[in-house]
Amino acid sequence: MKYMLSFTVNGAPADVAVGPTETLLDVLRDRLGFTGAKRGCETGDCGACTVLVDGRSVRSCITLALTVQGKAVTTVEGLARDGKPHPLQQAFHDHGASQCGFCTPGMIVSLAELLEKNPEPCRDDARAAIAGNLCRCTGYVKIIDAAMAAARSPHKKGGPA
Amino acid sequence: MTAYYAPKTPAETLALLSAHAPDCALLAGGTDLVPKLKSGAAAPGTLVYIGSAGLDYIRQEESRLIVGAAATWTMLAEHPLVASCAAVLAAAARTPAASSPGVKNTATVGGNLATASPAADLATPLLALDADVRIHSVRGTRTVALGDFFTGPGKTVLLPDELICAVSIPLCGGISVFEKIGRRKAMSISVVNTAVRLVLEQGRCREARIALGSVAPVPLRCRGAEDMLIGKEPGRELFQACGAEALRACSPIDDAAATAWYRRTAGAALVARALGRAAGLPGTPEE
Repeated sequence: MKYMLSFTVNGAPADVAVGPTETLLDVLRDRLGFTGAKRGCETGDCGACTVLVDGRSVRSCITLALTVQGKAVTTVEGLARDGKPHPLQQAFHDHGASQCGFCTPGMIVSLAELLEKNPEPCRDDARAAIAGNLCRCTGYVKIIDAAMAAARSPHKKGGPA
Repeated sequence: MTAYYAPKTPAETLALLSAHAPDCALLAGGTDLVPKLKSGAAAPGTLVYIGSAGLDYIRQEESRLIVGAAATWTMLAEHPLVASCAAVLAAAARTPAASSPGVKNTATVGGNLATASPAADLATPLLALDADVRIHSVRGTRTVALGDFFTGPGKTVLLPDELICAVSIPLCGGISVFEKIGRRKAMSISVVNTAVRLVLEQGRCREARIALGSVAPVPLRCRGAEDMLIGKEPGRELFQACGAEALRACSPIDDAAATAWYRRTAGAALVARALGRAAGLPGTPEE
């Protein structure tokens, strides 16, 4: 049985017929072409699939798509503003915070939520924000460096809609 | 083929449960259920999503704090009423040791209890706070003390057509403390966890609660250890003896996370530390 799912992705409305057990990650990647969110562990442990739902980070791999009915989803593709990268994206670039890059979208989305809630985080706040984002290249120090640099950026409020 | 419903009210939810139980699963945050749906470990004929059924509230009713079943861990961590009326519950919900923000934003208190993991991190604080579970069905309403709610790993007193509507917490006095040990400092299932509550009067323990998780088939209170404290002055030796007694009442197992011996040894120390923090004993390590 299929049900109509109507929601927004990065501000644009989307209507998709989905099955009850399809995940938000399935819909974003396979139906709508938003491949920023990555398919990692598929059990909610690694954080590579993290997206924002109404501004809150969620694991899209264990979020059933129908539960975001009427809600606003932001993926890493939706963080840039006016053609400019989000301050976190710029800081990741500047600080070499991406190695293989697979965890990067989840890291950036998790940290974007942190900066919205707490504009002046300390390093431990940033560590807690990415407690559930695994980097198998173990590039955590540079990721935290980038988060702190983004928090100092005057443009940090350029985040999700 | 699975059918899906997203009822808008608790009454609508109960009617759906009654119509479709037992081949029906309640979906809240989905952090436990969805992996099971994906692996095939769960394949219900009907999914009832309760995230928009009006169960995500936190409010005070006279002398009780009422937490709706669909209140998330993030709500528990951030809500001022939880901070003021049930600080130990907020502390357990807040610690990164339990899980990540992305899970806590969706995982719910009702789900944590209904899943009935022996290691559930919200169960021990709620046991220490004397919480009740408010259970509804089309047949009526009942209230079960949380201590009587769990019947085994993954098992509770819930009948197939019943819904946890809320957790009800009396505004009890005293200082409460939550402690847990996992394999790592973040996002880790508890090797052992504990919540204690002490009410001190004129320098002596008037009331005590000691709850332990991940050391028995269900999260449980250790009444023998609690009784040791009544009428006594707080002290390190007393709390160590009390920790040892608490673990004597438990039946930890060896599993992938830790050995039974480790759980017993670390659990006793953890209880002593939590009691020391609750009593404000100098020199007690911080969490």
